[in-house]
Amino acid sequence: MDALSRPAVVIDNGTGYTKMGFAGNVEPCFITPTVVAVNDSFSSSAPPAARGAPAKGNWLAQHSAGVMADLDFYIGEEALARSRASSTYSLSYPIRNGQVENWDTMERFWQQCIFNYLRCDPEDHYFLLTESPLTAPETREYTGEIMFETFNVPGLYIAVQPVLALAAGYTTTKCEMTGVVVDVGDGATHIVPVADGYVIGSSIRSIPITGKDVTQFIQQLLKERGENIPPEESFDVARRLKEMYCYTSSDIVKEFNKHDREPSKYIKHWGGIKPKTGAKYTVDIGYERFLGPEIFFNPEIYNNDFTTPLQVVIDRCIQSSPIDTRRALYKNIVLSGGSTMFKDFHRRLQRDLKKIVDARLRASNTRLISGDPKAQPIEVNVVSHPIQRYAVWFGGSVLASTAEFYEACHTKAEYEEYGASICRSNPVFKGMY
Amino acid sequence: MILLQSPSRFLLQILQERVLSGEKGMDIDCHTVEFDDVRYHIQFSMRNPKVMVLSVSLPLPPPEAILHDDLPLGAVDAIKATYGPVVQILDPPKDGFDLTMKINLTKLPPDEEQRNAILTQIASIREVVLGAPLKLLLKHLASKTVAPNVDKLVALVHRPNESFFLAPQADKVTIVYPMRFQDSIDIVLATSFLQEFVEARRTAALNNVPSCMWSPAPPLELKGVPADALNANAGFVTFVVYPRHVESKKLDRTVWNLLTFHAYVSYHVKCSEGFMHTRMRRRVESLIQALDRAKSDAEKLKKLVHGASFKRMSLKNEGDSRF
Amino acid sequence: MGPTCQAVLSPSPRRPAPLQPPESRPPLPSPRRPPPLPPINRAPSASTCSFDLRRTTDPEVLAAMANTLRLYLTCIRNTLEAAMCLQNFPCQEVERHNKPEVELKTSPELLLNPVLICRNEAEKCLIETSINSIRISMKVKQADELENILAKKFLRFLSMRAEAFQVLRRKPVQGYDISFLITNYHCEDMHKHKLIDFIVQFMEDIDKEISELKLSVNTRGRLVATEFLKQFI
Repeated sequence: MDALSRPAVVIDNGTGYTKMGFAGNVEPCFITPTVVAVNDSFSSSAPPAARGAPAKGNWLAQHSAGVMADLDFYIGEEALARSRASSTYSLSYPIRNGQVENWDTMERFWQQCIFNYLRCDPEDHYFLLTESPLTAPETREYTGEIMFETFNVPGLYIAVQPVLALAAGYTTTKCEMTGVVVDVGDGATHIVPVADGYVIGSSIRSIPITGKDVTQFIQQLLKERGENIPPEESFDVARRLKEMYCYTSSDIVKEFNKHDREPSKYIKHWGGIKPKTGAKYTVDIGYERFLGPEIFFNPEIYNNDFTTPLQVVIDRCIQSSPIDTRRALYKNIVLSGGSTMFKDFHRRLQRDLKKIVDARLRASNTRLISGDPKAQPIEVNVVSHPIQRYAVWFGGSVLASTAEFYEACHTKAEYEEYGASICRSNPVFKGMY
Repeated sequence: MILLQSPSRFLLQILQERVLSGEKGMDIDCHTVEFDDVRYHIQFSMRNPKVMVLSVSLPLPPPEAILHDDLPLGAVDAIKATYGPVVQILDPPKDGFDLTMKINLTKLPPDEEQRNAILTQIASIREVVLGAPLKLLLKHLASKTVAPNVDKLVALVHRPNESFFLAPQADKVTIVYPMRFQDSIDIVLATSFLQEFVEARRTAALNNVPSCMWSPAPPLELKGVPADALNANAGFVTFVVYPRHVESKKLDRTVWNLLTFHAYVSYHVKCSEGFMHTRMRRRVESLIQALDRAKSDAEKLKKLVHGASFKRMSLKNEGDSRF
Repeated sequence: MGPTCQAVLSPSPRRPAPLQPPESRPPLPSPRRPPPLPPINRAPSASTCSFDLRRTTDPEVLAAMANTLRLYLTCIRNTLEAAMCLQNFPCQEVERHNKPEVELKTSPELLLNPVLICRNEAEKCLIETSINSIRISMKVKQADELENILAKKFLRFLSMRAEAFQVLRRKPVQGYDISFLITNYHCEDMHKHKLIDFIVQFMEDIDKEISELKLSVNTRGRLVATEFLKQFI
C-alpha cells in the first residue's frame, strides 16, 4: 500500500475555520476554528536572549518541569475552551485576511491537525492545501518547506480556493472552469473571476463585510433593543441566532410591514442559560432576522465607510475582466462560504444583479442607431448548492480523487532536487470529466 | 499532545453526534485512514436510524506474523467481552475490510457517563482488535504463567508489513522492536532519541519501569528470524516487561503504549523538527535585526520618507494584500 | 596549532586568478600561540554518539577552543577589512550592464587572489574579491551524523530566506556550505565595519545554533523517553 493508493488529505485553511478530511468523502471530517491557544508561561515563545547569553536556562527549566513546553498547546474549539477556562493560554490567529501571518503557529496548527485530529501518518498521503488567490509565491515556498521538511509528505499541491469552489459545482454533464466565485467567509470576502481555471488576478475585488460583521451587527441590534443577554456570551448567542434564524428578504420595507402585521409568525424565541448563575433567559429575535444578511446588499445600515452593495461590486468585477469572458462569467456565479447559506441569498443576489445588467443593456440599446444589431440579453445565473458551506473543501476532495491529481502534485524527490521554488507554481488540471 | 490517544477522534465525534441528534440527521458514509494503515468506514442511513455500520481494515501483516482467520488472535473474543450486546460482528466483512460491525444504538446504556464510556471504547476499536494478542500474552504474564501453545518468539503486526517480536516467559516478557524510518533525517534523529531511552531509564525516578536497551544489531532474542524481517535502519529497541507493569488497571495502557511505540517515536521526531524550525526562525529574525543595524542612518531615513515602497521580504511575511 | 592563513592580497594581473584555493602556506606570526590542548576527559553526561569537543565541560578545553575560534574569526575579520574595497564598475563586455565580477570571473585583471583561511580540515573560509563584489564561502564543522543533518537543515533554511538577508547567496559555492555575495551597492547602503560585524556574527551564530540544536535534540529525546516510560509506573 503506497501513498498513491491511499486517499489524499485535503486541508482548507480559512481565516475563520479550517476544514480537513480525506479525499473521496462528501464532508470534511473536522471543521475547526483556525485558532491556537499557546501556553506562554514557559517563555518558549519569548524572543531569544541577547547575543551571547545562553539559552541553557530555558532548557533546564523545561527539563526540570518535565514538560515539553512547545507541545503544550491546543487548537480549534479546545483552544477557545481552554483560553476561557484559564489565563495561562493566550489565543493566536495564524491566518489574517486569508494570508498566513505567523508561521510558527501555523506549523503547530498543522501538526495538531495531522497527528491529533486526522491521526494519519503524513508520510503515507499526498496533501492538498488551499490558499487565497492573492498570496505571494514566497508563501507557497514556506508552506512547501514546512510540509516537506517537517512532515515529509510524499506529494503536495497548493490549490487556489476559488478554483476549488468552481470544481465543487462539477456534475457528470458539466464541468465549468469559468465563473465568478463569491466567497463570503468568516474573515474575508472575495469576489474572484476565474477563466478556464486561471484566476484573473487584476479583477479580484474584496469587500470588508464578512460573516463576523453580520454577527456583530446582530449583536449590536440586540443590545440596542435591550435584550437580556450576559455580555460575555453575546457574540456567541448572536452567532447562533444568525445561523438558526436569519434569512434574506426581497425588500426591507415590505419585510418590516410583514413583521409588524404578524409579529407572532415572525418573531422567534431562543432560550439560554447564564453561565455564572445558571439562570435561564430568553431572547427574542425579530427584525434582526432579515436585517443581518441585508448588510451585504445595503452596507450603509451597518458601516458608514463602505457603501457599495455586493451586487455592484460583482458587476464591477466582471466589467473589469477581459471582454470575451464576461458572458461566461455572468452565467456562472458560484457562491461559497458559510455566510452565503442564508435562505434565498442566491435569489436576491441574482435578482439585484440582473437589474443592473438589464439597465445597462437597455441604456446601450437606446443609444444605438437604427440598423445596428441589438445586444443579446445577458443571462445572469447565481449557482447555489447544498455544500456551499465547505464548497472549497468539497472541490478539493473531488479534485484529489482523480488520477491526474497525483501527477500534478510536487513530490518530495523534486523538492530535494530543486528546492522549495518548485512550489511556486501549481498546474491547473481539468479533473475527471 | 504528548502521548498518542487511544480513541479515534473522528469516530468518537460521529458516534456522539449521532446519539445526540436522535431522530433527525443525514446519511453518513465516510472513509478515514489512521496512522499505520488502519482504515475505517462508517456508514449510517436514515432508513435504519438505530444502527451504524463500522468496518475496519488492519495493516497488512508481514509473512512471519500469521493471523487466525484474518483477524489477530483473540480479537473476536475481545470485541464480545468489551462491547457486549451493543456491537454485533457481521460475517463476512465488507469487501476490502477485515472486520465489519453493526453498532446497535438502542442497546446503549441510558446513563450518560456509561454511554460515553462505551462510545469511547467503540472509538478505540483499534486498540481492542490489534492489541488482542498482546493483551492475551500480558494477561498471562500478570498471572505469572505462560500461555499454552505459544512459540518461544511471537511476531505481532503493528505497521504495514512490519512486526515486532515478543519472547514470553513466566516471569517477564521481552519485546524487541526493529525500528525503520523512511527519511534519512528521521533515521538520524530517531537513533539519537532511542539512545536517550537508555539514558533516561538510568535516572532514579524511573527505576520501576521496564528496562530498555538499544543496539544497532539484532539482539540475541531474535536468533532464527529471517533476515528481511531484521533490517532496521534505526537499530533495535528491547523492553523487558514484568508482572508489576501489567496489573489489572495498567494493562490497557501498557498494551496501547507498546502497540504504538513506533508511531510515538515517529510523532515526536516530527514535532522536534517543527520545534527546530521555530528556533531557526527566531535565529533568522535576530540576524536580520543585526543586519538592520548595519544600515546607514541616511538609508533608513530615505526608507521612512518614501514609505515602504518595496517591501523587503521579511520573515513574518507581513505583506497584507490590499486590493 | 592556530589557524593557517594565506597572505597576499595584491592583484597580480599576469597570472590568471586561481579557481582552486592554493596550498596552505606557513602560518602568519600570530600574536600569541594558543596553549596545547590538554588531554580530553569524557564528560559523564555525553551521549553514546561520537564524542564532540563542543560538548565538553572541561574549562581548559573550552578556553583553548575559544581561543582558536577567536583567532579564526579575527583572521577572517582582518582579511575582510582589507578585501572589502569595492567600487562601482560597469560591465566591460556588455553595455549598460553592471554585474558582480566575482561571479563571472571572466576578466582576470578585475579579480584579486582568493584567500583561504582554515581552522582545521573541516572548517574553512574562502574569500574571493573582485573590483565590485566579494564572495565569502564557508564550510561549517560537522563532527558526526547528527550535526551533519542539522547543519544541512539549518543552512537550507537560511538559503531559502536569502532575499531577506540581502547579502546571502541562494546556493552555496561548490564544496562549501554557505556563501555570501556582497556588492558595492551593499557597501554604499551599509556601513562597512558593521557589515563585517554582521558577517562575523553570522558565522559565530551558525556554529552556536547548530550546537544548540544538537543539544535540543538530545534534551528532547530525554523528555520523550521520560514521558513514555512514566506511563509504566
